[in-house]
Amino acid sequence: MRAFFTLWRRELGAFFLSPIAYVMAIFFLVVMGFSFWFLARVFTLGLVGVPVMSQLFGSLFFWIPFLIVVPVLTMRLFAEEKRQGTIETLMTAPVTDTQVVLAKLAGVFTFYVVMWLPTIPYAFILHHFSSQTAPFDFGPMIGGYIGAALMGLFYLSIGLFCSALTRNQIVSAIMSFSIMLLFFFGGFLHFLEVQPLLKQVSGYASSALHMLEFSRGAFDTRPLVFYLSSTIFVVFCTVRIVETRRW
Amino acid sequence: MIKVSNLTKRYAGHTAVQDLCFEVARGEIVGFLGPNGAGKTTTMRILTGYLPATGGEVYIAGHDVVTESMEVRRNIGYLPEHNALYTEMRVKEYLRYRGRLKGLGRKRLRVRVDEVCEQCGLEHMRRRIIGHLSKGYRQRVGLADALVHEPELLILDEPTIGLDPNQIRQMRDLIRGLASRHTVLLSTHILPEVEATCQRVLILHQGRIVASDTPSNLKELLVSGDRILAEIRAPREELLSEARAIPGVARVEAHGDGPWVAVEITLAESVSGDLRPAVFDLAVRHGWSLRELKLRDRSLEEVFAELTREEEEPTAP
Repeated sequence: MRAFFTLWRRELGAFFLSPIAYVMAIFFLVVMGFSFWFLARVFTLGLVGVPVMSQLFGSLFFWIPFLIVVPVLTMRLFAEEKRQGTIETLMTAPVTDTQVVLAKLAGVFTFYVVMWLPTIPYAFILHHFSSQTAPFDFGPMIGGYIGAALMGLFYLSIGLFCSALTRNQIVSAIMSFSIMLLFFFGGFLHFLEVQPLLKQVSGYASSALHMLEFSRGAFDTRPLVFYLSSTIFVVFCTVRIVETRRW
Repeated sequence: MIKVSNLTKRYAGHTAVQDLCFEVARGEIVGFLGPNGAGKTTTMRILTGYLPATGGEVYIAGHDVVTESMEVRRNIGYLPEHNALYTEMRVKEYLRYRGRLKGLGRKRLRVRVDEVCEQCGLEHMRRRIIGHLSKGYRQRVGLADALVHEPELLILDEPTIGLDPNQIRQMRDLIRGLASRHTVLLSTHILPEVEATCQRVLILHQGRIVASDTPSNLKELLVSGDRILAEIRAPREELLSEARAIPGVARVEAHGDGPWVAVEITLAESVSGDLRPAVFDLAVRHGWSLRELKLRDRSLEEVFAELTREEEEPTAP
């Protein structure tokens, strides 16, 4: 356990020493900030009834940075260690492969959460300056954050998996971006007229749909189970990939 | 300390290490010598548990590297070939991280980080960012990392590669200084290095051990007759014929033209003894000037070349 925390601290620390992480965090916050400003503007124009928080989590302004930030944050994790050769000192220290994988995921997830923190005041700003109480509700806000966290965890684990496959960061980023897009667009099959089975399956796995649900304030255990179990599965696969050097 | 029996490692298509057997006793400094691609790094990676062996057994301090990997890792300090470090971290920060990872407690960690910094001459570099350090200092940081948890065994893969001559000398002194407290296995393809640092040499070639002995014994092993080098100012032909006439001389070769002739005199194998006085007498007798006369010492380099060449011949088609 101690080894895990030591690794986690070093992983998290590495983000704060890396320019890419700052660039990504700023990019994310700029887009989210714009999204918020845009929604507030719509709101002040008198279009009452726009669910601001759900728009903040469900719109393209959320998805575009999300789909870019996650691959870029994760691409470094294993690829960099392999290219630099630090993987050798890491893996000959008394730590297990599972500890390393979990610590890396925990590190990047922590950074992801920290990246979201500055968006929390948005809701309060809106609440404070709005004379109406109707458009604002904390339920959707909390739901939206839970959704973003769960989805973040799953997609970050995919990014980690891709990073373990290669020593090239660009290859890793493109792979995880492709897999994420596949999931993201696969989810839209649900909205099309297709076979009932396909419609149902894609509904279960549709991140866009999940986010809409969460940011309505509706808490469903199905996406919770889906994201947690998928994350566990991807982490398991990542540990196996890290082990392959021993095969 | 190390016990390796029948170690074999095959990668897809080729065998990197074949049937390796050797032992290293506690407190020894053993050099692993071989050309690039001889299997040194592979062997070291197997010893540290980074790579699994295809066959054979490795015990380190009584622990099997496969089944008791964690125990083994706690007993080993490893400096990998390219000494990769997290370049964005500071020296002290890095050593603290590594020490904690290797299970040192808080108090012990503080003491050990200071100790290894002092031991490796890093006192003034503690607050520097590793990426800004010179190659020599990075190598010291790598060594400090290998030492921080006081391992019984140090495995150093080419510790002096890429260093300048001064740094190489400092590194060697550092390694020699470690011998009292640690067992050291180091690899290199630079011969003077093992002559300078190691008590025992294992010569590895194409995945096999071709020789294992002390550096001085290894030299004797292949000495097939002393050679004398002399530079004499004399008519070439006359010198040659006179030199050949000295009893016990097997072969004489002359190099260079002009007034000074360099002759290389090889003794017959059956003869032992020093022929230098005979050569001197020869020069005096004829009134020739003599400006150099010495026994030619065989360097480990030649021994090495001979050993690795012998191995190559049978495999050639």
